[in-house]
Amino acid sequence: MRRHTRRVYNLCYRFTGNAASAEDLSQEVFLRVYRTIGSYEPNYGSFATWLTSVTRNLLVDHYRRTRCDRLTDSIDDAPQAAEVHSADRTPHQKAEAMELSAQVQAGLAKLSPELREAVILRDLQGMEYAEIRKVLQVPEGTVKSRINRGRIELARILQEMGVRAD
Amino acid sequence: MNWNCALTEERLSDYLEGALAPAEREACAVHAAECAGCAEILSRVGELVGQMHALEPLLEPAFLSRRITRGTLGARAERHELAGIGGWLNLIWQPRFAMGIAMVAATFVILAHTAGLRLSSLKPSGLNPFNVAREANRQAHLTYARGEKFVNDLRVVYEIRAVLAAPPPAPSGQQNQAAPAPSGAPPSAPDTQERSSRELQRDAITRKATNNLHWAMLDPAFDKFALLPANRRPL
Repeated sequence: MRRHTRRVYNLCYRFTGNAASAEDLSQEVFLRVYRTIGSYEPNYGSFATWLTSVTRNLLVDHYRRTRCDRLTDSIDDAPQAAEVHSADRTPHQKAEAMELSAQVQAGLAKLSPELREAVILRDLQGMEYAEIRKVLQVPEGTVKSRINRGRIELARILQEMGVRAD
Repeated sequence: MNWNCALTEERLSDYLEGALAPAEREACAVHAAECAGCAEILSRVGELVGQMHALEPLLEPAFLSRRITRGTLGARAERHELAGIGGWLNLIWQPRFAMGIAMVAATFVILAHTAGLRLSSLKPSGLNPFNVAREANRQAHLTYARGEKFVNDLRVVYEIRAVLAAPPPAPSGQQNQAAPAPSGAPPSAPDTQERSSRELQRDAITRKATNNLHWAMLDPAFDKFALLPANRRPL
């Protein structure tokens, strides 16, 4: 379970942009997994893919449930999550990585939920297109289209925010 | 092959991930060379994807796993999980905790050394707070006494050197005979030779006495006050 905690927490945090919500949602994901573990079939794919699917469904529920709250919340007020840093990085590189991570997070928050989840699953979770297709339950062509549009939109948002590519 | 802006957007991921056929890749490159918008998209999105892939995963809160275990398997499983040494090590063995523990341990070692605790001679009674306080008090007084002794020894050495270096009193007969030389008159050569040989002799005596004194002070039974004149010895 500990092996998957970081993966689920990362997905929740990148989608919600709030550390406290990500923590609560991660716990909720594992509670749901614990209750519905009997419904998991190996034919569906790997356990990680199934776990991501459960997480995504909960995130969609959470998104719908908190739509009204988000209209009044500011992303700047949300608690930020800490990053894991490789030991061989210098303090300057760590600071740059933290800044970029926060900028990407701010950009993701401005994407539509459909594009956001596609970009997160592909570029931050490193999933294959076939796995993303199973999680999102849409054809692979749609997955690629969402990823493409999400990447272009995110690049445009970051450019407007003044983020310069190194 | 004809390539256009819509195709650039549609096949963007394939282009970035090298999944385009050679002919398609060539057509895309030719179009990008002519279309500034597509060239910028390819460049900017390529940079962004590279940066996102290089991002490290976020660190989950330290107690999230315990919280999840408690929520799913219950407190019993949590106790079982933490019962093993590995469970505690996972909780403690994080850089910030490890560094803090090391600093606290170093502080305790320094304090124990200062208080006179030695691991080789450590007994259960030595851990009694009363004994620890008494030993610390003793060590503090010993340190103060050693310092005081060192300063006193140094003072005695300098006093003895001052006494030995003082010019010997001239005999009263000679004092009357030696009339003061007229001002500006140079001393005669025999007088100068006699004075310099006397000074050399006195310096040699001083050095020898100081050397002997240093060796004598190493003897625990050495009475430094015995070297002083009788009227200057402490009561």
